[in-house]
Formats: sequence, C-alpha cells, structure tokens
Amino acid sequence: MSRKPKQKAHIEFTLNGETAEVAFAPHKTLLEVLREDLNLTGTKHGCELGECGTCTVLVDRKPILSCLMLGLDVEGREVTTVEGMNEGAQLHPLQETFADTGAAQCGYCTPGFLLVAKELLTKNPNPTREEIKEALSGNLCRCTGYIKIYEAVELAAAKMRGESVELPKESVYGYE
Amino acid sequence: MKNFAYARAQDADTAVQLITQNQNAKFLSGGTNLVDLMRENIEQPDHLIDVTGLPLAQVEELPGGGVSIGALVRNSHLAANQIIRERYPVLSQAILMGASAQIRNMATTGGNLMQRTRCYYFYDTDARCNKREPGTGCDALEGFNRIHAILGASDDCIATHPSDMCVALAALDATVHVTGTGVERTIPIVEFHRLPEDTPQIDTNLQPDELITSVELPALPFARNSMYRKVRDRASYAFALVSVAAALEVEDGTIKNVRLALGGVAHKPWRATEAEKVLTGAKADEEIFKRAAAEELKAARGYKHNSFKIELAERTIVSVLKTLASEGGAR
Amino acid sequence: MSSPKTERRFVGKSVPRKEGRDKVTGAARYVDDIRFPEMLYGATVRTTSPRGRIKEIIFGENVPWDEFTIVTAKDIPGENYVALILNDQPYLVEEFFNHTEEPVLLLAHEDKFLVEKARRSIRFEIEEFSPVFTIEDSVNKREIIWGEDNVFKSFLVDKGNVDEVWESADVIVEGEYLTGAQEQLYIENNGMIAIANHEDGVTVWGSMQCPYYVHKALIKLFNLPEEKVRVVQTETGGGFGGKEEYPSMIAGHAALLSWKSGRPVKIIYDRAEDMAATTKRHPSHTRHRTAVSRDGKLLGMEIDFTVDGGAYATLSAVVLSRGTIHAAGPYLCPNVRIRSRAVATNAPPHGAFRGFGAPQSIFGLERHMDKIAKTLGLSPEEFRRRNFIQEGQTTATQQVIHEKVDLSGLMDRAFELSGYNEKREKFAEQNKSSRLKKGIGFASFMHGAGFTGSGEKYLESVVGAEATEQGNVRILAASTEIGQGTNTIFGQIASEALGIDYNLIEVAKPDTSNVPNSGPTVASRTCMIVGKLVESAALGLKQTLVGSGFLKDSGYTSEDFSNACRAYIEKHGALKSFSKYQQPEGINWDDEHYRGDAYGAYAWAVYVAEVTVDPTVYEAHVDDFVAVQEVGRVINPVLATGQIEGGVAQGIGYTLYENVVWRDGRMANNQMTNYIIPTSADIPPIRVFFAENPYAYGPAGAKGIGELPMDGAAPAILSAIENATGVSINHIPLVPESLMEELETETI
Repeated sequence: MSRKPKQKAHIEFTLNGETAEVAFAPHKTLLEVLREDLNLTGTKHGCELGECGTCTVLVDRKPILSCLMLGLDVEGREVTTVEGMNEGAQLHPLQETFADTGAAQCGYCTPGFLLVAKELLTKNPNPTREEIKEALSGNLCRCTGYIKIYEAVELAAAKMRGESVELPKESVYGYE
Repeated sequence: MKNFAYARAQDADTAVQLITQNQNAKFLSGGTNLVDLMRENIEQPDHLIDVTGLPLAQVEELPGGGVSIGALVRNSHLAANQIIRERYPVLSQAILMGASAQIRNMATTGGNLMQRTRCYYFYDTDARCNKREPGTGCDALEGFNRIHAILGASDDCIATHPSDMCVALAALDATVHVTGTGVERTIPIVEFHRLPEDTPQIDTNLQPDELITSVELPALPFARNSMYRKVRDRASYAFALVSVAAALEVEDGTIKNVRLALGGVAHKPWRATEAEKVLTGAKADEEIFKRAAAEELKAARGYKHNSFKIELAERTIVSVLKTLASEGGAR
Repeated sequence: MSSPKTERRFVGKSVPRKEGRDKVTGAARYVDDIRFPEMLYGATVRTTSPRGRIKEIIFGENVPWDEFTIVTAKDIPGENYVALILNDQPYLVEEFFNHTEEPVLLLAHEDKFLVEKARRSIRFEIEEFSPVFTIEDSVNKREIIWGEDNVFKSFLVDKGNVDEVWESADVIVEGEYLTGAQEQLYIENNGMIAIANHEDGVTVWGSMQCPYYVHKALIKLFNLPEEKVRVVQTETGGGFGGKEEYPSMIAGHAALLSWKSGRPVKIIYDRAEDMAATTKRHPSHTRHRTAVSRDGKLLGMEIDFTVDGGAYATLSAVVLSRGTIHAAGPYLCPNVRIRSRAVATNAPPHGAFRGFGAPQSIFGLERHMDKIAKTLGLSPEEFRRRNFIQEGQTTATQQVIHEKVDLSGLMDRAFELSGYNEKREKFAEQNKSSRLKKGIGFASFMHGAGFTGSGEKYLESVVGAEATEQGNVRILAASTEIGQGTNTIFGQIASEALGIDYNLIEVAKPDTSNVPNSGPTVASRTCMIVGKLVESAALGLKQTLVGSGFLKDSGYTSEDFSNACRAYIEKHGALKSFSKYQQPEGINWDDEHYRGDAYGAYAWAVYVAEVTVDPTVYEAHVDDFVAVQEVGRVINPVLATGQIEGGVAQGIGYTLYENVVWRDGRMANNQMTNYIIPTSADIPPIRVFFAENPYAYGPAGAKGIGELPMDGAAPAILSAIENATGVSINHIPLVPESLMEELETETI
C-alpha cells in the first residue's frame, strides 16, 4: 500500500471576525476545513461540484462556493459563515425574516441564501425584486419556490433601512 | 482528492520556474474548475502552483483604444468594468450569463480560458473518454450527447468548450499573451483552443510551461453594437445549448463589418468565418442572415440527441443579427 | 377572509416556525453534521448493468483491503429484503440483479477518500440477461423480468356501464398522454449513521420521512425484537417522497457495516449517487376514450393508466392506487372504467414523489379535457363548468361527495385574479403580429388527503401528548418535520385545543424509542389525520387534569394549565395521553372492487398559468401563476402558502425543465448541471389564494395540502402553451428540443 504520510497545512485567517488558526490535510476544500476541522457545520454540502450554491460563504465579503475553494486559499483572508451572522442572541435581520416568513422550510439551503442576501444588502440596501432574483439565482432551493425568500430579503432590507413594514397580505393568504 | 504539494508564486517568472521544475504540476487560480476536477480524480496534479498572488488583476486601456485584461481579473470584475460594458457589451453579457455570481466572484480570466469540457463522460471515471484517458474510446458518440458538438468534432471526441466568455473573445478577435521559459508570445484567440482531432486530451495550444498573463482586446469601435445570446435550459446557471456572440456595423443598409462566434457547438469557441464572408458587404436583411447561418452550419453534423442544435444555432444567429441590425447597426 | 375566526387564537395565524431559529443560525443538526468517535465512512458498491448474474467480484489492486470492513449478502443476520409491501427488494444482491444501481457490497473505512478509491476499484464479472426498459416492452412481455407477467399491481374501477355509451354518444374523443420521471432533488442528500452490535441492538440516525418504516425494515434485516431497534430522525433537508422508503435501505447498509465492524458507521450519498440510485417519480402512460354529448356532458370515460415501477415492487401499488382514483378527476360522469397497472422495468425502483401518482393521471385527464372541449367547439372552461362534480354527486369510485364543493366558484376566483378572460382576448390579438407568443391556460383538479381507502384504518396511527415537569405539553409523534412545518402546526393545533400558549407546546423529535407510530409522513396526511390525533391526545391530557381536580374545565390561563401539569406529576407521576385513529363513521371502502369512499376529504383547486413561448429558439417561460384552492381550514397561512408556492415551483420544473435521461436503465444526467431544476430566475410570481370550508373531521377543520400543488402546474402550463401556439402537446417534460419538434410539425 502506498499512502503518503499525512502532512498537514497550517493557515491563519479571520473567521467570523476572529483570528483562526487551523491545520488540515492540504487537499481539503474550504467547506471540508470549516465543517471537519473547525466544526462549523452550518455550511452545508449540496452537490460539491459548484452546481447548487448551498455551500456559499463570504470570502473577503464576497460570496464564493466553499466546495470549489481549497482551504489553503483563505490564508490571511476574511471568511464569514452563517455562524457569524448573528451577534450573540441577536439575530441578523435577515435571519429573523427568514425564520418568520417561511423563507426557511427544510433549512438546508438557508445558510447559503442568507450569506448571498447579506452581501446583496450591503451593496444595495434597497434592491428591487428583479435585483434580488438575479443575486440569488446561483442558489437552488427546492422547498419554497423562492417567493418567500424574496419577501424575507425585502422585509429585512426595509428593517435595516429603519422602515417599519409588514408582509403584503397577498403574500401570506391570497387576497380579497 | 489526491494529495499534492502546494506553492505560492508572487511573480510570473517564479511561477514558470516552479512549473518547469516540478513534474505533473498545475497552475491554480480561481479553482472553480480545477478543484472540481481534482475532487473527481480527473485531474491529479502532484504540485499546485497558486498564481493568485501575481500582479495580473488589472483592466487597462491601451493606446489606440484597445484594452488589456490581466489574467487574474475576476469574471465579476470584468463584467462590471465600465469600459468593457460600453465598448464591448458582448463580453460583459457573455460573462454574466455564465455560471453563478459566486463562481464569477472566484473565476479568473485566465482560468476561464483554461476551462475543460463539461462532457458527462469526461467527468464519469467509469466511462470511456479519450480526453481523460487517451485511447480508451468515446462513450459520448453513442451515449447521451445532447450538449455535444455539431461542428469540428472528430471520431475521438465530440465534447464542447463550456465557456461563454471565450465565445465573446473569439468574436472580438482577442489575443492571449503568455509567458514561458524565457519567451513571451501572443496567441490569437481563435488559435488558442484546439479542435479535438485525434488528440482530444490537448485542449489548447498553450505549452505546459506557459502561463497566461493577459488577454488583449483590439480597438473595435463597432463592437459597441454587439450582443450575446445564450439559449439554455433555464434562465440562470446553465451551460449553453447554443450561444451566439456578434458585433455588427451596417451603413446605408449594407453590412460594413460583422463578427460572429458560436458557443456550445464545438470543442472550441467557434468563429463563424463562413457566415461572416457571406454577410460582409451584403444588404442587411433577414434573407442574408439566414443564408449566412445556413452557410456556417453546412458542415454541421448532429448526433442522436443534439441534431436539434443545428437548426437552433441557425435560428439564434438570425435572431441576434436581426436584433443588432434593428437596434443599433443601421445608422 | 372568507370566514370568521374570531374565537381562534393560534389556528389560522402565522406563528413562527418551531425550529426556525436553529435553521437560520446553522445550529440545526442534519445527519452529516453529526460525528461519533471512532466512526467509519461507509460506501455502497453497485451493479453496473441492468440485468444479470454476478459471477465474480474482482477487488482492485493498490487498496489496503485488510483495513476495510466488507459486507456482503452473506453477512446479513436476518432477512435479505427491505420490508415494505411485497418484500421483493434485497438489501444486497446475492447473485441475480435487476437494475444498474443495485447494492452488492458495502465497504467501510475511517478514511473517506480511501473508501471512495476502494469503491471505484471493484469490478464484477457478469452474465448479462436481456433487460426491459419501457412500459410498452414490459406490458408486451418482451421479457418476463418480474413475477409471471411483469405486473406489480393492477386495479379496475367500474362505475355504470361504459360499454353501452359509445353507440349513443354524439362525440367520442381519444387521446394518449405521457409523463416522465422526476427526481425529488431535496438539497440535502440521503444519509444515515448507525451503531449496531449484538448487545445493544441497532440504532440509526438519519434523514428520513418515516421512522417506523425504517424500524420495520431493520427488525427484519437483523431479526431483532422491536425494542432492540431504535430509529432517530435528524433534521431533514427536504423529502418530497424521496425519503419515504429508500432511507430503510441506507439505514440497513450502515447498520450492517456497524454490526460487522463494531464501530459507528456513517453513509452519506453524494449527489450523483443519490440521483442515480434512489427513487424517482413513476413515468406514466395514459389512454383516454371519452363519450360526450353535443351539449358538452360527459357520458362515459374509459381510462387506461400505466406506470413504470422500475425493478422492484416497493410502493408502486400504492402510487398506482392514488393515480387510479384521481384519473377521472373532479367531474361527474355516470359511466367510468379505469384500468390501471404498475409494471416492471430494469431501472432502479420508482417511488414516492409529492402527488404520488395523481400528478401523472391528472396531467392526462386535464390535457384530454382540453382536447374534448376543442373537439366540441366549447371553451375549456365552459366544458369544465358543465361537468364539475357537485355536492351529493358521485366520483368514479362512487364516493358521494358530502362537502360543499364549488369548483366553478374557485374557477371564477382564479380567473379574476389572473385576468384570464381579458388575457385570452388580448393575447389572441397580440399574437397575430408578435414574434413572441403569449398564452394563458388552467387546470381544475382535486386531491384526496390521507391514505387511500382503508389505508388509515389499517395503519391505526397513534399520537401521544405528555405533560412535562416544566409544565409544558410535549407532543409525541413519529411524523417528521421535513420543511413543511409539522412541528409548528402540531403546536398550533394542540395550543388551540387546550387554549394555552403556543410556546408551551413542545414537539418531541421523532425517535422510535420515545414516540408512538403516528404513521408515515406522506400522503398529505400529517395535518388532517395526525393533526386530528394531536388534537384528541391533547384534549385527553386536559381531561385527565380536569378529572383529577387540578384544572378547571374552562376559564383557565396558560399558567393555570402549567401549574396543573406540575401538580399532577408531583402527585401521580408521569402524565401521558394517547389517541388512536378511528375512521369517521360513514366512510366505507370496498378494496376488492375499488369502490366507495376513497378519501375522507378532498382538496379542490383551479390553477392558472401564463406563458411566453419564443418560437425562434423554442423557449417557453412561465410569466405568472395563480393557485386557488379549498383545503378546509388553513392552520398556518405562511406555511400553507409556502407549501403551495414550493409545490407549484416543482410542478413548473416537472413540466419544462426536469428531464431524466435514461441510458440502458440508468439515469444518464445524474448531476445538478444537467438535470435542471428551476432557479429563482425561472419562477414567476406565484399568487396563492385559499377558500376556506372547514372539514368536520380535520383538526380545527383542516384538510391535507402538501401534495395538491404538484398536480396543477403541468396541465395548466401546457394548456397555456396551446393557447399561445395553437399546438396541443401531450407529454412532459417539454424541453426545448421537444417543443421544437412539436412546433415544427405544425405551422404557428
């Protein structure tokens, strides 16, 4: 049998606002490093071929697919995962609206959507429905049909702008 | 994924040196395709030379109106670049129709050129594939070949090149600047990628020790009237069944200049020179568009599941030319 | 709202999802998020051809096989079948195999990369037998590959005398309709972890819909007593039917590896394996022959409905049953004969997928109704209106409808919301000159909630309610939360029934060592059937508290209730109440003749789709969608709307995007890049409206909802495409090349 001795790579980077050091087998993807070596299992495996967006995290504040990036690649960079969205018990407005408005059904694709939406609202605090659709079109969801996700993003955006808003009645119950 | 040694290069010379010194080494930039292929054990490099630290991430205007795009400019940056959007809208559009926002944030210009095919049989290590394992045969020939080539294929390989960006580059007559051991050279985009012939394992004419440093777009004023149309199975995040990149200049009803390239139809971005010949100098009307499309697709050959792409390509060409002729070409 | 809900506190309100917070913070633990010390990674080695006999297994070189745990059929301690209905599917191939994805060997090792390398290195020497791949070849018995005639199950529904109508009919219309397979494509792949040994028995954790299906299968596989097998559902990332039966297979495999290795074993499928090997929606073929009078009344319907079951019987009989009963739809017809069968092919078994046979037969029926209308020169809506079933009339199974059904009213509402009538006119005018063709179409349909016929009676589902020491009420049920909102609606139903705060209701994680068997989470039964049991179990708890003097019968607060629970427990110990399903009186079903009350209740719906067709490049896009339905009382508007929106989106995928390509009985496009599901850019606005008509036997008046939205999209979209192009298309999926074929054969 011919397995090479396991050499580990060591890197240092900023993870959810704090410095992190980690050692791992150099061939591991960022997704594997996060889940297996840092025990942050909020970031999910979906297809592992860059086809579904489920494993999205932010690297230097841009959404990328952690299944297609080597762990080695984030040395010295800034990584944000879903675990870094809330501040203690205080949920990010997107987390609140996703939980309350039915944007998370099975919840498996939710972390990826949350991070893409977070970056969208940073760049564009008042996106149109079309802009939201476009921004989220790299993330697949099989439960919601996306509608509740748009609404959650719109509501969170309004909250973050300091506006008080309610879901349009037709979005939850048809209308009369 | 197999283990590998990993090194970072900070300049092009070191990168080239590292790749010559190490057996079975590969450059790594955005990783969106290479990491994927390594996961599937299709690529098994012993050494990875990370070139993302090289200072090649600029888009620069050149004297005379052209533009130089550094090899490490991310797809998302390039698509959003103001100069590109104004002067070469076809390129910006093509990039934005490729992959997803996350992937465009990662993928680089050089990496996009180096993308390998998305042929299912290339990815399926249980299947026969001359590109993956030369001499084993091609399971796509008799298999599910819906996304496969209709132009320029060989009996050894009917894979297509997956890039959208490269189709636009082909239409724009871009040149690829590369650096190797002691030599720098430029390769016209149409000669950069290869047809499969009997060596489909070789995708491009880039030598193993060469590194792409930039892509140059020539000054092409009429490219302001250009567009990219991609026919695909869904509105986002899907490879092209057929795509068309075109730029058109019409003067007094006559076609003065035209550039046309097709994607999703061949082993390389397909510059439609036959169609261009028919079009140049002709009266810009639907009839000539149809004739040009038919001329280009004359050599096309369909397989069991992809014959529809021949007519689809013709129709898409006509539709794009009509749009360009009516929207901005006929001034 | 259409009806007052003044006295209700929790039902009808969009209370927050019970597990919502965990899902948005990354705290929710799915099976792959769980690790045990010393855990091994398992992999499945599968056959590579469709039918034959394994002569020899060849282990590859350069693999340290002595480090591996290897399981074959010989290692199975009990029965080598996945216990379900007919028990014909083996856990591991012994010698003969019947499809390309049959498990033969199981491997486990602590290095998951090495497991994958080892899996790929194994080859089989095989004697190939002639396979059957199509419904047609199977029906014609080109080869006998299952039983005596390739037929898993057949049904005959006979109402009136259809043979006598043909002669007197003004018009006879025939048609043939085809639907393809569909992959559930839950975003979380299947996976299981098992710890199994002789001393403690077998425990599995995993992604699943039906813990007690897995439980039943493991008991047989290991030949263990019930109490030695424990099945725990982990947070489940979508199911849609795809995690109804196959988890029993994976759980068994993980447990066999653990049993042999003495260590915990995790098996997580990757996307390609999940798509290729696990179940998909049954492809179908429907033939209609219909007699109508000149004035547009249905006189007789002869329907022949066939589904492709794949290589083993699994759930095909039940899928066929639902498809059969829905085949004649919500229309009154005095003479109906439906013959149906599920047949074998050498493909991986097809299984449950939202709708469970109904979307297939409804597709055929609704396309056919459009065809009849066209033949008669009536508008599709007018023809429907003349035949919609009314209260007091009978369905194809001669079930008398006792509900106030008003499909015409639903249609009016759907047309009003979608602008159907105006758009029909407007598009007809615009299409004359426009390159892009626009169209609008609809489908009207029903969907039965709960198990078919006597199914619920045989299931005898049980739900418990338990007082906790904290003074909360914990619901004990095996019904799983898979995204649809089980935990939340159980909480609402219980809090409503008890008149206490929603936050005082806990819902226990399904764990067979702790919850009774409330039946599988399928068939739109969780709310209507299990929810009703939640209501009565909760009321039972209250009765005990009242009976023992700890609680007033009424006029108490949530705090009073909590105090009563605590006081009771202090004095008497544990307080639990269980409720077992009892069929409402007056429901009668004759299984032999397939006659009677097929379902306790139906949901009724009219869906409208608006499309644009680009005839240049053969693209069809859905621009707008209106879904109007009557589902009894809506328990939670946000969740209910979400069910409809998600189901419609899957229906749009089923119609226009999702094409399972078969190559020698194997799914050839088992990747998310080439099996295309809709992205956010493909889904139109979906506007959802509920009419409410409380159902007497549902909890707070609710009926089932989960499967309904899967039924309507396909026929509505194809009707809209016909309106746009004039071309009537009778098959799905309608991918660009088939649209091209259809449009080219007609001039548009």
